[in-house]
Amino acid sequence: MMKRRIALILTFIAGSLGLFAFFFPGVPLFPVWPFVATANFKSASDRLDTWMVIVAGFALTLGVVNVVQTHGRKIMRQEKGWMYSVALLGGLFSMSAAGIYGLQPTEGIGKYTDGTSTPFDWIFGNIFFPLQATMFALLAFFMASAAYRAFRIRSFQATLLLAAAVIVMLGRIPFGEMISPHLSESITGTPGGAYLLPWLTNWIMDKPNSAGQSGIIIGAALGAAALSLRVILGLETSYLGQGKEG
Amino acid sequence: MADIVRKLAAIDPRIIYLVMGLAVLFPILVPIGLRVTITPPTQSAFDAIEKIAEGSRVLVSFDYGPSTSAENDPMAAAILRHCFARNLKVVSIALFPVGGDSVARDQMLLAAKEFPDKKDTVDYVNLGYKDGGQAPMKLMATDFKAVFPTDAAGRPYDSLPIMQDVKSYKDFAIAETLATGIIGEWWANLVNAQFHLDVVIGATAVSAPKYYAYLNSGNAVGLIGGLKGASEYEKLLVEKYPQFEGAYKQAGVLTATKGMDAQNIAHLAIVFFILIGNVFYVLMKRSRRAGDAA
Amino acid sequence: MSDRAPGKLDPIIALIAGVSLLLLLPVLVKLVLPAAAWESGPGPFFASFFETKNTSAFVLFVVFCSLVLISIRRARIGADLYIRPIAGLKAVDEAIGRATEMGRKILYVPGIQSMDEIQTIASLAVLGHVAKQTARYGADLDVSNRDPLTYAAARETVKQAYIEAGRPDAFRESLVNYITFDQWALTAALTGKMVREKPAAHFFIGSFYAEALMLAEVGQTTGAIQIAGTAELAQLPFFVCACDYTLIGEEFYAASAYLSRAPLLLGSIKGQDLVKGLVLAWLLLAAGLIVAAAATGGADSTGPVASLSKWMVSVLSHK
Repeated sequence: MMKRRIALILTFIAGSLGLFAFFFPGVPLFPVWPFVATANFKSASDRLDTWMVIVAGFALTLGVVNVVQTHGRKIMRQEKGWMYSVALLGGLFSMSAAGIYGLQPTEGIGKYTDGTSTPFDWIFGNIFFPLQATMFALLAFFMASAAYRAFRIRSFQATLLLAAAVIVMLGRIPFGEMISPHLSESITGTPGGAYLLPWLTNWIMDKPNSAGQSGIIIGAALGAAALSLRVILGLETSYLGQGKEG
Repeated sequence: MADIVRKLAAIDPRIIYLVMGLAVLFPILVPIGLRVTITPPTQSAFDAIEKIAEGSRVLVSFDYGPSTSAENDPMAAAILRHCFARNLKVVSIALFPVGGDSVARDQMLLAAKEFPDKKDTVDYVNLGYKDGGQAPMKLMATDFKAVFPTDAAGRPYDSLPIMQDVKSYKDFAIAETLATGIIGEWWANLVNAQFHLDVVIGATAVSAPKYYAYLNSGNAVGLIGGLKGASEYEKLLVEKYPQFEGAYKQAGVLTATKGMDAQNIAHLAIVFFILIGNVFYVLMKRSRRAGDAA
Repeated sequence: MSDRAPGKLDPIIALIAGVSLLLLLPVLVKLVLPAAAWESGPGPFFASFFETKNTSAFVLFVVFCSLVLISIRRARIGADLYIRPIAGLKAVDEAIGRATEMGRKILYVPGIQSMDEIQTIASLAVLGHVAKQTARYGADLDVSNRDPLTYAAARETVKQAYIEAGRPDAFRESLVNYITFDQWALTAALTGKMVREKPAAHFFIGSFYAEALMLAEVGQTTGAIQIAGTAELAQLPFFVCACDYTLIGEEFYAASAYLSRAPLLLGSIKGQDLVKGLVLAWLLLAAGLIVAAAATGGADSTGPVASLSKWMVSVLSHK
């Protein structure tokens, strides 16, 4: 019960401090002021931001500890797929070792002065970089299969989605210009006129897309604000692993 | 016939992957050199840098990692070239945790090699990576030194001539974020909306549509969307500064413009699949209706 | 609905009163103490008391908080608050039931961001409900995390849910897993899990980046029922295309209220909707005035109508 109360009080202080600092930056932070003359909401909020940077750094450490614990346990018990855990921990420790080696003043984690790579940079450039880029590149294939499956003329909305997708995809490439008629300045409003598909693409992105995105942004922002208010006031406690109020 | 149509309407995804792979590979092996047309968001991004007075400070934030390097690296290279060509002072930071620091180092190193007259810590500096997401971004508005007490090479903030008198965002003319994910939104919502620093967003193609809303509301003064946006920026750069033409035509160097060939063919392949998918879908529906009627 | 003893102060009212007092205390002290006592204090006190350029944001903030808190109060005293049916949330129980019948597990991914992201907190609220249902039905749950803090919070959430469902014995540490911090390594692990272990239901609820398409698309090929929810605009189209149900933006934030039907949370949703209605009305009025000004005086009109419309726009644009 006490643990919960302390967590809620800390949440309230941390959440409301940022808010008050935004609207009332110069108000003295009572009761720290007048012992610290410059203590106000702004300085307290800035201090809290600095602490957040430190906490975020420690969160990474927590992540590493968790990974080592979870996968170490898997290896010790030789659970299903334990060999992958060996590979994971091997990668973790070798990259960490390269980083720690780079702490030496003559080493570093970038390139040496002659342009050759430090161990950290070599692992990053030759292993990590290609692996990351490959995983992201897979998206192109999944995009194609998703488009083939999802963009069907099933309903009016689906047809609209299909039409917009085809127009934008063609409009963004020179082929779209090649197959489009040239529209005059009086129609497009752009000096010298424009080709139909690229102009239509810009219009779709600038008007309906932007309007739809704005609507979702506003709605999501209000939703986030309401949830934040509930969290700050301690009305939403699901993140503490506790039941909800009300 | 109905069976054939049904099979084609539900084509094995591996065939789609194979065709996509060939569509992307072919233009890389045999460059086509298709034309690039400039769109208003990229033009705005270019003009935003052109308007800045020489000698001003520009904040470039590397908020991406290796996964989106294919899209963001060409933008980074183009922007750095643009800034150095205009004799702007570049301060680079990184806010993306996985690889952000390394891509910042690599890009700044490449730029420095191309501009040997520019001096490290005088004309440019890499301040390195800072964890914490929006917290350091908020703190930079009041105390830059507190966020980056040293640069990426470990040199103290006060020893960097370029950072003399730099206290906050007010000492920068513009911020350029090369972003993946949500970080570009943080720059627009936090840095521009609250601290009124002009922001240009270099986003991946996946994220670019959402930034149109920020562009229209004035929270971003320019948007470079994906590889297409990067190729447009390269074209604008070469048109204004012809000395860079050689760098972009160099053999063995993949630029956004060269990469657009692959994107063009890939787009055509996807459109082709969408269209034939719908043709087979309609044929299948008709044959089903005919079967039901019979 | 209120279970408070007569004469006892509502905690929310008490909190607001306490905070206001704390805020105003220096002002009161300033008025009471002689000027000399303030020599060592913060300089231009009143000048920096209120950030005038944030006035419109402050007014909106006060209106927002008031409407939300009033709606919560109304909910607590028993007002009947309606929320429209949300298909994705109605399908949550259906998905859990399906997984139970098939004897396969439920995969829940609470996004890839840490606890400082509000979407993650919203996701954990949904996770609490899902975990309670899986505990009741005896279904298997697998919560896979990217962030260590989220992992710790998710573990506590699931544990508590199992206790509340009356099945503390069924809770195991292996229900909640920490995979890795790397986005793509996590994606590889999750897609491998989907293909090998074939969960019957996938929940992608939270903040996702580019891996959204890959997760949803691979999940789709395994035949699982997929429910996604995110406020990440860029990823919504991929979830919509590849998932059976998608919670878009604030539907996702409303999920905890919808699933629990807690009056307090329903009240908060109502308050939020009222604010949205106000903002919408303001925007429509401003747009109407702009059109009217342009129609009567041209685009650069400086008349009262044009000035009013410009002011209305500037208020919301915070410039």
